[in-house]
Amino acid sequence: MSVPHFVVSNPGSHVILLGNEAIARGILEAGVIIGAGYPGTPSSEILSTLAKMYPYFSHLKIEWSINEKVAFEVAYGGSMSNVRSVVCMKHVGVNVASDAFMTAAYAGARGGMVLVSADDPNCYSSQNEQDNRYYGLHALVPVFEPSTPQEAKDLIKYAFEFSENFQTVVLFRTTTRLNHGRGDVVLGEIEEIKREYGFDWDRSRWVCLPSHSRVLRLRLLERLKEISEFANDFPYNYLKISKKRLNGKRIGFVSAGIPYAHLMDALNHFGVKDDVSILKLGMVYPPPKKLIKKLFSSVDKILVVEELEPFIENILKQIAYDEGLSKEIEIHGKDIFPQNGEFSAELYLENVADFVDLEYNGVPVPNDLIIMPPRLPILCPGCSHRASFYAIKQVEKKLKTKFVNSSDIGCYTLAVYKPLESLDIEVCMGGSIGFANGISKIQSKGNPVLAILGDSTFFHSGIPALINAVHNQNNILVMILDNRSTSMTGFQDNPGTGIKITKELGTKVNIEDLVRGCGVSPENLWVEDSNNLLEMIEKLEKAVKADGVRVFISRHTCSLVEANEFKAKQIVPPTVKVDPEKCKGCLICVNDFGCPSIIFDENEKKAIIEQDTCRGCKVCIDVCIHDAIYEVEE
Amino acid sequence: MELKSFNLLIVGIGGQGVISAIQILAWAALLDNYKVRTAETHGMAQRGGSVSSFLRFGNEVEGPLIPSGSSQVIIALEASEAVRNFRYADSNTIFLINNKIIVPPTVHLMNMEYPDLDSVQKFLEQISSNVFIINGHEEALKAGDIRSLNVYMLGVLVGSEKLPIKQKTLENSIRRFVPRKAQIINKIAFQNGIENGKIIKEEIE
Repeated sequence: MSVPHFVVSNPGSHVILLGNEAIARGILEAGVIIGAGYPGTPSSEILSTLAKMYPYFSHLKIEWSINEKVAFEVAYGGSMSNVRSVVCMKHVGVNVASDAFMTAAYAGARGGMVLVSADDPNCYSSQNEQDNRYYGLHALVPVFEPSTPQEAKDLIKYAFEFSENFQTVVLFRTTTRLNHGRGDVVLGEIEEIKREYGFDWDRSRWVCLPSHSRVLRLRLLERLKEISEFANDFPYNYLKISKKRLNGKRIGFVSAGIPYAHLMDALNHFGVKDDVSILKLGMVYPPPKKLIKKLFSSVDKILVVEELEPFIENILKQIAYDEGLSKEIEIHGKDIFPQNGEFSAELYLENVADFVDLEYNGVPVPNDLIIMPPRLPILCPGCSHRASFYAIKQVEKKLKTKFVNSSDIGCYTLAVYKPLESLDIEVCMGGSIGFANGISKIQSKGNPVLAILGDSTFFHSGIPALINAVHNQNNILVMILDNRSTSMTGFQDNPGTGIKITKELGTKVNIEDLVRGCGVSPENLWVEDSNNLLEMIEKLEKAVKADGVRVFISRHTCSLVEANEFKAKQIVPPTVKVDPEKCKGCLICVNDFGCPSIIFDENEKKAIIEQDTCRGCKVCIDVCIHDAIYEVEE
Repeated sequence: MELKSFNLLIVGIGGQGVISAIQILAWAALLDNYKVRTAETHGMAQRGGSVSSFLRFGNEVEGPLIPSGSSQVIIALEASEAVRNFRYADSNTIFLINNKIIVPPTVHLMNMEYPDLDSVQKFLEQISSNVFIINGHEEALKAGDIRSLNVYMLGVLVGSEKLPIKQKTLENSIRRFVPRKAQIINKIAFQNGIENGKIIKEEIE
């Protein structure tokens, strides 16, 4: 492969880009220098694409930050220094960043400052489907939303100019189908920004103490007014009025983002695109009041097509009320489209047909349906998390107790499924230790309370909760599953590996040092290789029985990362087989351990290890109680 | 170039090369001057879970999702995944099904039945008469690497002459996306796929 096509610098080149690559390209074209973020599906590829651009554009200063709040602050520091800066995260990451974001909205931007939020309708890879357009409304910050990869590139490029013109932070809202869909994109010029960079020592602006903030608040309101006025001329808001009627009615649609694209498909499908009025919003907040009023005066009824909350719908209804039109114009939205999940393409067809009084017949369903058991995501063959949870279960069995396993966000969350079924809580990043703090106050005399989280999650927000446990003497066992990678989101490095996003060497942060530094006593710290099952069980039992705040670091490199390392170093992983003579067909390795490389031959009633998927982690050798699994000596 | 829209769905299991296949097709569609959209499964769902990716191209495509009953072609790199996605097919849809079933490991634990190849075929034939079971698994191994399965299946599609993209363009796109070391293997897989596709072409109704 030659130079990646998002790097090609010839303006006018026609290429295919993933939505996130298109966003990264727009960031590059805007002359941005600082980029920060924390990995999170569906946002991760934006920053990793910038990292791939870095060898060709060394002016880029990009990093994976420790969490979204720090990432926001890194970018905002860039904006304070007159540099165009971007920060990227998934929707729930904005909750973490919101402390900085809400007040940065007051002080505003100096160098162009854009926060990219990747929302996830249908929770494809998330714990909720919150609608982050409300963060714009909440912070009084404009919200941009693109519908296609091309528009994503153009709109984010424009967002930096806009940010500087109005001295405002811009919230750039995307959803999974935009982030993870490809489209044809025409590349643009890469802007050369010629200006002096550096901090400006404007204390009345950057020191947000009460006397300053009251003034900043007035400026914020003034700014919002100016932006509201400009919204009518915003180059990515389009109003197309049709004088035609459909079945006697003048019909209007209002939409934005991915729903707009599918709405267009539906209107094309029925051949009625030119028979209806359409308002397409590239900036969903603040609303273009003049355009909306013009639409109101041109139609009899409006359907707002938006996923998740009735954000645009409520704005329209408010304007209709203010204009005294609430009796004259019908505004529909969530009475027709659902408030949850992602809209399927046929849902647009059904609802649009219904709204304009046309026929749409779905496809008939065959008579004899096959019930398909789900194919759920699973821990990979050789995954060290499987070994850790198996050890936890063995200790529970041995001590005849049930732990409260307060867990966290990462691949290990998959241990909630069969056969491990060993997590009890998963809510938010770093929450495992926080919840355990509280539960231990009640459970401390009964079931042991475990907080289980990964290395990256520990760095992200586990540390304050650990210090909290030490300080307040909340009796918990924290288990850090250190697989030396942020695997679920694409194997990003983190402080534990010391490698930076650019693959350059950074400074490594040692988890043991951190834990001791948080005040955990050295005798309450255990470290073991996750794949040494017998030692894991022995040490974990001691850790469970000990008093005070305890930390157990279960460490083994992510099996997918390790497989690549082996390949690069030409190391052949061990070959592990089942001796059919010794195998009793007890199914422990299949039904309790559940490595996908171990399958059961129903005819022979014996376990078999699939050699093409086995990673040679050897944990199943210790899982087998009949000594039937062995390593083949080379 | 008068094509309004062509919809194609590739399904399989995370790691089988669904996204690469979509990427190859998307680039080829661009080279043939179409407007292109894809929607892909990334992230958590990829850990051995079901994966489905949409490709749409033509002069009238805006959004990436395909409405039910509107996919002209469905390629399944794992046979049973075609059943999971049957609603995208109608009576004209061409199903190209790799002959391999991979039973999800959890099925055993849940004491559930999983369909075999025969029942997958019978089920799909209720929907369309153009269901083709392809010897993809063996052919990819024969070409030299199971990872050439996706390119083999693209070859079958090209041979069937049901893809409105030029063979030459697709070859260029494959060269662009396949790693240098795997070029020869994929070239063989693609050619063998085309030969198989030519046979299928005669059978399409």
